[in-house]
Amino acid sequence: MKRTKMILFGVFSTALFLLIFTAQSALAKTYMIGSSLAITGPTSDAGSPYAKGMEDYCKFSNDMKLLGRDKVKCIIRDDAYKTATTKRNFEDFMDQEMVIYLNYSTGSTLGLKKDFEEEEIPVLPASYHAGNLTGSNYILLPSASYSEQAIGLAEYVARNHKGGTPRIALFLHPSAFGRGPLSDVKKAIKAGLKVNLVEVVEHGKDLDNTAMIKRLLKKKVQYVISQTVQSPVATVLKDAKRLGKIATKFGQKGKLTFLGAHYTGGNDLIALAGKASENYFWTTAFTLTSEQSAGTDAQLAMARKYGRDSKTANSHNYTSGIMVMQIAIEAIRRVKAKGMDVGKKSVYKELLQMNGFNAYYPLTTVGPVTFGKDDRAGVDSLQLYVVKKGVFKAVGSPFVSKYAKMIK
Amino acid sequence: MSYFFQLVVSGIVVGSIYALSGLGFVLIYKSSRVLNVAHGQIIASGCFITYSLTVWAGIPIYISFLMSMVITFFLAMSVERIFLRRLIGEPIISVIMVTIGLMSIIDGIIYLTPFGSENYSFPEFFPQTPISVGDVSISWTQLVGVIITAVLISGFSWFFKKSTVGISMRAVSDDQLASMSIGVSVPRVFGLAWATAGLTAAAAGGILGNITGLNFDVLQSFGIIVFPVVILGGLDSILGAVVAGVLMGLIQQFAAGYLDGNWGLNGTAEVLPYILLLVILLFKPHGLFGIHEIERV
Repeated sequence: MKRTKMILFGVFSTALFLLIFTAQSALAKTYMIGSSLAITGPTSDAGSPYAKGMEDYCKFSNDMKLLGRDKVKCIIRDDAYKTATTKRNFEDFMDQEMVIYLNYSTGSTLGLKKDFEEEEIPVLPASYHAGNLTGSNYILLPSASYSEQAIGLAEYVARNHKGGTPRIALFLHPSAFGRGPLSDVKKAIKAGLKVNLVEVVEHGKDLDNTAMIKRLLKKKVQYVISQTVQSPVATVLKDAKRLGKIATKFGQKGKLTFLGAHYTGGNDLIALAGKASENYFWTTAFTLTSEQSAGTDAQLAMARKYGRDSKTANSHNYTSGIMVMQIAIEAIRRVKAKGMDVGKKSVYKELLQMNGFNAYYPLTTVGPVTFGKDDRAGVDSLQLYVVKKGVFKAVGSPFVSKYAKMIK
Repeated sequence: MSYFFQLVVSGIVVGSIYALSGLGFVLIYKSSRVLNVAHGQIIASGCFITYSLTVWAGIPIYISFLMSMVITFFLAMSVERIFLRRLIGEPIISVIMVTIGLMSIIDGIIYLTPFGSENYSFPEFFPQTPISVGDVSISWTQLVGVIITAVLISGFSWFFKKSTVGISMRAVSDDQLASMSIGVSVPRVFGLAWATAGLTAAAAGGILGNITGLNFDVLQSFGIIVFPVVILGGLDSILGAVVAGVLMGLIQQFAAGYLDGNWGLNGTAEVLPYILLLVILLFKPHGLFGIHEIERV
C-alpha cells in the first residue's frame, strides 16, 4: 500500500511538473525581428560586420533573458544590395508577423518607403539619409543624419579655422546617399554658417585624383568634407599624400584638411589608405573600441563570447549593427514592461516615447537615443575623431550640430 | 603649364592601367571572339592572390606578384578547360552566357573568403617620396604600373605578330575550321588565350590594388570600366587597347582638370569618355583599330 502511494505520488508530481513547464512554455512568446542587408555584394564590407553585430546582440538578448521568458527571433537575410530582393525579404518577414524591421541601404529604404507606410511597421535603416524621413512616418534613423554630420563638420571647421571665412569643398558619392547633405549644407550657410562652399565634387572610380586636388588648391580650398564610402576617400588621401598636400595639422595653410561623415571612416579607411589616413577627421555617433569605455568593453566581450575575430569586434559597423538591435529589443522590453501586447503598432508607439526621462542609453553611442513625434533621428550627438598613429582618437566632447537643428 | 603636364602624366598613367586591365579582354576576343564578362573577377582574384602571398605567406612582393601571374595563368587555363572547352563550335552567345555564370561563381567563392567583405591595403614597399620634375610628380607605384604595362603590351604585340603560337591564335580567331584543317589545335589556342588573359589580369589587379586598396567591389568594377576602352580601341587590337586607354585617361584628366568645377559642370570626367566613344563609333563602328571584316558571298 505504501509503495502504491509512493508510485502515485511520483506520477502525480511528474505530471504536475510537466503541466507547469508546458504552461510556462506556452506562455513564453517569441517576437520576430527581420533584417535584409548586403552581407555580400556592393558595400558588404560594411554590411557583413553590421549583420554580425545584429546577430550577436540578438543571441545575447536571448541568452541573458533580457525579455524574461520571451525570446526574439531575428531573421537576417542577405539581399546583395538588390532592392528587389530586399522587397521580397520584407514581404516574407511581414507574413511572419514581424514587429520591427531593420533595413540597410539608402536606395532600398527610399524604394520601400511606401511599403513601410502601408504596413505601418517601424523601420530602422543603416542609412542615415535625411530624405528617408520625408513623407514617411515609420522610418526612424538610428543616429544623426548625413546632413547633420556634414553640417556638424562644417561647423567644426568654421569654429576652428583661423583667418577669414574657411573655403570648403564637398566630396560626394554620385547617388541619393551622397547628395543628401548638399542642399542642407547650403541651407545652413544661408542661415549663417560661416563657411564658403567653393566646389561640390561628385567622384567616380578615379585612379588618379591629381587634377581634382590641384584644382581645389588653385581655388584656395582648405577643407574637403566627404559624404561617400571609404574607398574613394582612400584613393584621394593617397594622391594628396603623394603630392604632399595633406595638412599635418588642422587647417594648415596651402594644404587640404580632409573630413568625412559616418561611412567614410573607421578601421576600413585605415586599412585602405594606410599611412595616408593620418590626420583624417571623421564624425560618427558611435563609440569606438580605440577609445575604451564601458560600452566598448561590453562590445568586445560579446564579440569574444560569440567567436568573432578582432577585425569584426573592432569595426564601427559591428557597433552600429549591435545598436539597432539594442533599440529594437529595448522597445519590445518596454512594451512588455507596460503589460501591453508586443506588435508592430505597440513597438512603434513605444519608440516614439523614447525621449526625456525615457531616453535610451545603449552605451554603444556617444549620446542617448531619443525619438519623438518631431524627432525621428535617434542619437543627436556626434563625436569627432582623428587618425593619430594609425588609430582613430576622439577630439573634444560629443556635440550636436547647431545649424542642423536651426534649418529643420 | 606645369598643371597641363601634370594632367598629361596622370592621363598616361591612368590610361596605361586601363590598357593593361583591358588587355585580357582583347586576348580572349582576339583568339576566340568571346567577350569574357568575368574579367573583373579575375582581376580581383589576381590582386587577392598577390596580397595573400605577400602578407600572409610573407613572400617578397616582387616574387608574389610574379607568382600570382603564374597562378592566375593556370587558374584561367583550368577555367577554360573545365567550363568552356566543351563549348567550342557552339554559338558565341552560349559561351558569353557561361562567362556570366562564371562571374557569379567567382563572386560566390570570393565572398567565402575574407576579401569578399573586408578591406586591405598592400604594405608600402616603394619609396613614399614621388618622382618629381618641377611641379609634375608621379608615384613609384604609378611608374612601375606604366612600365609593367609597357613591357606586357610590347611582349604580347610581338607574340601575336611574330611567334608561331601567336599567329596560330590569330588564325583561330579568323576561322576555326580553316585553322583546324591546317593542323592548328583550336582547344589549345583557346586554353592559351584564357591563360594569358589571366596572367595580364593578375598584373592589372596587383597594380590596381596598390592604387585603390583591396576592396572587391572596386577591383571587380574595373572589368566593366575598361569595357569602353577596348570597344573604342577595337576589340581585337592590342594597339587599340593602348591608344584608347591613354586617350580615355587623358580625356578624363583634362575634363577633371579644366571642366569640372567650372561653369557649373561636374562629373564630366565620367561622362566625356562615353560621349567620345559614341561619336567615334558612329564613324568607325569597329573601333579605332578593330578589323572590319568583309564577307564575300
